[in-house]
Amino acid sequence: MHVVVLLKQVLDPEIPAKAFDIDQGRKAPKVERAPQVLSIFDGNALELALKLREARADVRITALTLGPQQADEALRKALALTCDEAVRVDAEEGALDSHQKARLLAAALRLLEPWDLVLAGRQAADWEAGQVGAMVAEELALPCVPFVSRVEQAAEPLAVRQQLESGYAVVQLGGPAVLTVTNDETNVLRAAKVKDVMAAGRKPLRVLQAGEILADLGESAVEVLSLALPPKPERAEIVEGGSMEEKASALARRLRELGAI
Amino acid sequence: MGGILVVLTLQGGAATPAGLDLLGLAAEIAQVDGGEVTALALGEGGAGAGQGLISRGADAVLYCADPALARHPGEAGMQVLAQAEREVQPDLLLLAADSVGRDLGPRIAARLGAGLVTEATSAALHAGRVEVTRPVFGGKAIARMAATTAQAVITLRPGAGAARAADPSRTGTVRELAVQIAPAANWPTVVRREVEASSGPRLEEATAIVSGGRGVGGPEGFSLLHELAQALGGAVGASRAAVDEGWVPAALQIGQTGKAVAPDLYIAVGISGASQHMVGCARAKTLVAINRDPDALIFDAARLGLVGDYREALPALTRAIRELS
Repeated sequence: MHVVVLLKQVLDPEIPAKAFDIDQGRKAPKVERAPQVLSIFDGNALELALKLREARADVRITALTLGPQQADEALRKALALTCDEAVRVDAEEGALDSHQKARLLAAALRLLEPWDLVLAGRQAADWEAGQVGAMVAEELALPCVPFVSRVEQAAEPLAVRQQLESGYAVVQLGGPAVLTVTNDETNVLRAAKVKDVMAAGRKPLRVLQAGEILADLGESAVEVLSLALPPKPERAEIVEGGSMEEKASALARRLRELGAI
Repeated sequence: MGGILVVLTLQGGAATPAGLDLLGLAAEIAQVDGGEVTALALGEGGAGAGQGLISRGADAVLYCADPALARHPGEAGMQVLAQAEREVQPDLLLLAADSVGRDLGPRIAARLGAGLVTEATSAALHAGRVEVTRPVFGGKAIARMAATTAQAVITLRPGAGAARAADPSRTGTVRELAVQIAPAANWPTVVRREVEASSGPRLEEATAIVSGGRGVGGPEGFSLLHELAQALGGAVGASRAAVDEGWVPAALQIGQTGKAVAPDLYIAVGISGASQHMVGCARAKTLVAINRDPDALIFDAARLGLVGDYREALPALTRAIRELS
């Protein structure tokens, strides 16, 4: 069973808000000094693939990314977590819309066939669009199951858990499909072992040129009109009191005054 | 701009709050623009729900109650949506950013070559096209975006709050969409659904929410949150950190990557206040933070704050609220 996991290297979402600034010319964050990390849900997707490989012996995992050379870091991380192969589509990812990215990834996936599953994070931690996974499915004329959190049955027929608004569904697959992965407590990405990190540095990365795998990228269908920092909030009114009982009573009184209870 | 096609998933034969938001937004755009709003109602009870959808902003209702929609929501949903799109030929397709729209939205946009903007918290017509506002970068920035194509697809976050009050004087047509669904062998099939049990109201509809984060320290601590929520007649929510630790089910997650909620009262317990979480509760009328750390970021976002250990604060607050009511 061949599983391809789509990965994206993004601006570290954990950087504090005060370190976040916007380049108004490009309508994008200033990223010169900010650290880049593997997008969080892509980590969940990778963990799901690793768990599936632990559950059945025949699984081979390929990590696929789209981006400039800097995106190789995501692939190195995947290899350090013992993914079998790593492939990057070389493109200036930031200039493309989701559909263009999906078309490039679909073209790369056709070169990597045969595979049985494509996993992608439900959305990237930068633009938070959540489009590429389902669009890749459409480009490949495959079914898509969004918001999968775990594998329910690793033997054929494969079944996965899909998170819904309240609860979940168990979904049985009938063949190759694209799954977008959301977080739960079973798919927090593990840490790599030191020896595997060392070994990963020596493994080859395959690079595909965007122009060679897809002749016509088309035009972007989406425009960013503005990107702004949210309005600065005011500091909370802190309730005072000599004891916790007094503080709690003061809080309850203020809530009553504000009409909140 | 021409017509708007609104895609709704019916639950128990009625539109969800997210679906009513879509209709409200569509009606607002159509009011300026003059286009017709067609609601595509997926799931059982479409014929009966039709007039209700019209009273909330639809001019016409197409419904499909084929049982294949429940077993194969993605693949059957795409066949139905594609058929409705061919019939209506809308300039704008509106879907909820929920488990259905997050699948169908990108797929129909890719199929049509239409520009797609997802996870909108608001949208409005400007100079003939719909501009969308959405939080990005975990809520550290707000983007305004628009499709550059003549046809656009937009998904709206549940909790956007655009629903209109029912106007029973509105009239329109209701008819079944003629579509033959032939499930293929490779379609994913829903074999079981589990609804996570909860004693109180649903998060999306709760007027009070008590929400816990990493500072709660473990699953046991959530019992104190439940007691306070019960005293308030509200629901319990959580930050992503608490979900990742396995302390609460994923359905309770609030934030950029969880639910967006709009209660009258939101009490954040042991939540640091990272923007990722705050975009999910930004529409709460009164936000209260309870945190041990007086410098916690959450006190920048909250209206009221209590500095202290939640294990003492919550029982005391529960008692104080019970005494007041």
